[in-house]
Amino acid sequence: MKVGILLSRVRVEEKWLLEALEARHIDYERIDDGHLSFDLEEPGKWLGYSVVLERSISFARGLYAAQILNTWDIPTVNMASVAAVCGDKLATTAALARQGIPQPRVKVAFTTKSALEVIEQMGYPVVLKPVVGSWGRLLARINDRDAAEAILEHKETLGSYQHSIFYIQEYIQKPGRDIRAFVIGGETICAMYRNSEHWITNTARGGQGEVCPITPQLDEICRSTAHAMGGGVLAIDVLEDPNRGYLVNEVNHTMEFHTLVPTTGVDVPGMIVDYTVAIASGKINLPSSLDVSASRIVPEVVHQSVC
Amino acid sequence: MMPGFRGYMVKIGFLYSRMRIEEKLLLEELKSRPGTEVVMINDDEAFFDISRQPAEVDVLFERSISYHRGLYISRIFEAFGVPVVNSSEVAGRCGDKYGTSQVLVNHAIPTPRVLMAFSEEAALKAALEIGFPCVMKPVIGSWGRLLAKVDDRFAAEAFIEHKAALGGAGHQVFYIQEYVEKPGRDIRAFCIGEEPICAIYRSSENWITNTARGGAASNCPVTAEVAELVRRTAQAIGGGLLAIDLFETQSGLSVNEVNHTMEFRNSIHTTGVNIPQKMVDYVLARGDHVKG
Repeated sequence: MKVGILLSRVRVEEKWLLEALEARHIDYERIDDGHLSFDLEEPGKWLGYSVVLERSISFARGLYAAQILNTWDIPTVNMASVAAVCGDKLATTAALARQGIPQPRVKVAFTTKSALEVIEQMGYPVVLKPVVGSWGRLLARINDRDAAEAILEHKETLGSYQHSIFYIQEYIQKPGRDIRAFVIGGETICAMYRNSEHWITNTARGGQGEVCPITPQLDEICRSTAHAMGGGVLAIDVLEDPNRGYLVNEVNHTMEFHTLVPTTGVDVPGMIVDYTVAIASGKINLPSSLDVSASRIVPEVVHQSVC
Repeated sequence: MMPGFRGYMVKIGFLYSRMRIEEKLLLEELKSRPGTEVVMINDDEAFFDISRQPAEVDVLFERSISYHRGLYISRIFEAFGVPVVNSSEVAGRCGDKYGTSQVLVNHAIPTPRVLMAFSEEAALKAALEIGFPCVMKPVIGSWGRLLAKVDDRFAAEAFIEHKAALGGAGHQVFYIQEYVEKPGRDIRAFCIGEEPICAIYRSSENWITNTARGGAASNCPVTAEVAELVRRTAQAIGGGLLAIDLFETQSGLSVNEVNHTMEFRNSIHTTGVNIPQKMVDYVLARGDHVKG
């Protein structure tokens, strides 16, 4: 059995994952996504991998590499179908809605005119997000019509076509924090609060980590969410609404966890490696089939989420 | 061919991007004048050898829609001694909002306060310093596009990040202007040389009053106060064919922007002044003057 680990650079997370592989005496190879190439008709040496752990910083590179490997029946953690759903906020929202999982209200529009109408209907504040993107970047909290008009125009005029897919989310009056929960193979293994005075709570933007107890309700919504995404190794961002309780905000498929590990004391990298090895050895059957048709987007934006 | 003012032809280079209503009116006017010959130069089709004069003309009438095309082509003609209306110097001052503001400030002409910043952090500090609401504008741009009225810190953060992440180099230059409470309108004054010829109110429910964005035009009397400020502004900018945008504030008139290749289709009937005729008079006088 040989494990491949696909990466862009060695951050703290990759360093820990490599150490966990070493500690378990696992036969593994590092694959640099900046150097690799694929011949789509010649799998060749790739067939030597029993599984590939995908840790690209680039959403697009990770997604396409996983698609190709999955086509050759090489499993990836996470599978391409999971990456496609998690990496696109619109696909995530649709998958959550299909399973009836509580989430903030979201509306989508494709022109500045229709987007402005939707925003006025929803009422202020609203949050505008790029459908592909991470680290809390380019999130806009819109408090009035002046801001709505100008931000929509800026996105349409300055951004690529993807920035004219207007993803409009209800603003949740959360208690100065959100929850980042970690799910591996359908089990909620740990969670932390991300406290921040800023409405964007990502630790990459200054949010502070604090242990969050896994209540039965939190466990339930995280398990359902992981199932809706197609399983694997996932970081789920949960908002606490004063009236409606837990709402799933986003799901991340190639997350960072350099704050989560010291905050919770849980050996996240070790558990990821154990899960990956279990996939390779067939001890765990993936919940979703090797369905590459679910990969429906052509993103160019660097994607990685912070924990 | 008919003789010109002094018995010879005046050749006018007409630099344009598209034939808008304005260009049609200006060409009709030019063609009605005896002793003139128009050489059409399309900024989209032509290329320019900078080692020689691009066309044998006595004056270049610059009507490009693109600020940069107009500016560079003007400079090439000027390099061979051909006068351009408006000159590249004037275009440079009008086409870049920082350039306009700096000239106005240097000449102590009333204008909204402006802060400049060159990073996201500094831009946010500048917005907080100037207070809300404030206005963020691209330094180069027109038709009221990409103007942002910033009402609070959330909006400031979002605009600054979107401009920095999505925009090109020009959007990394942050021009932050004091927001002026105006009475649902502003004034656009037309100026030939250094003389105001007419003015319109542009009324709008939106804070952006450009007629290209739906502002309604009505005649504005050229009061002594308007005339005085237009003259001072035109002198500071360097004169020419200018449209000067004024705000009416509690402490008097204030200059917002100056335009050097303005549209005027909505202002002829509104003011009763034949704007293209007066523009052509000015351009011909420039060409004639040089030739004489």
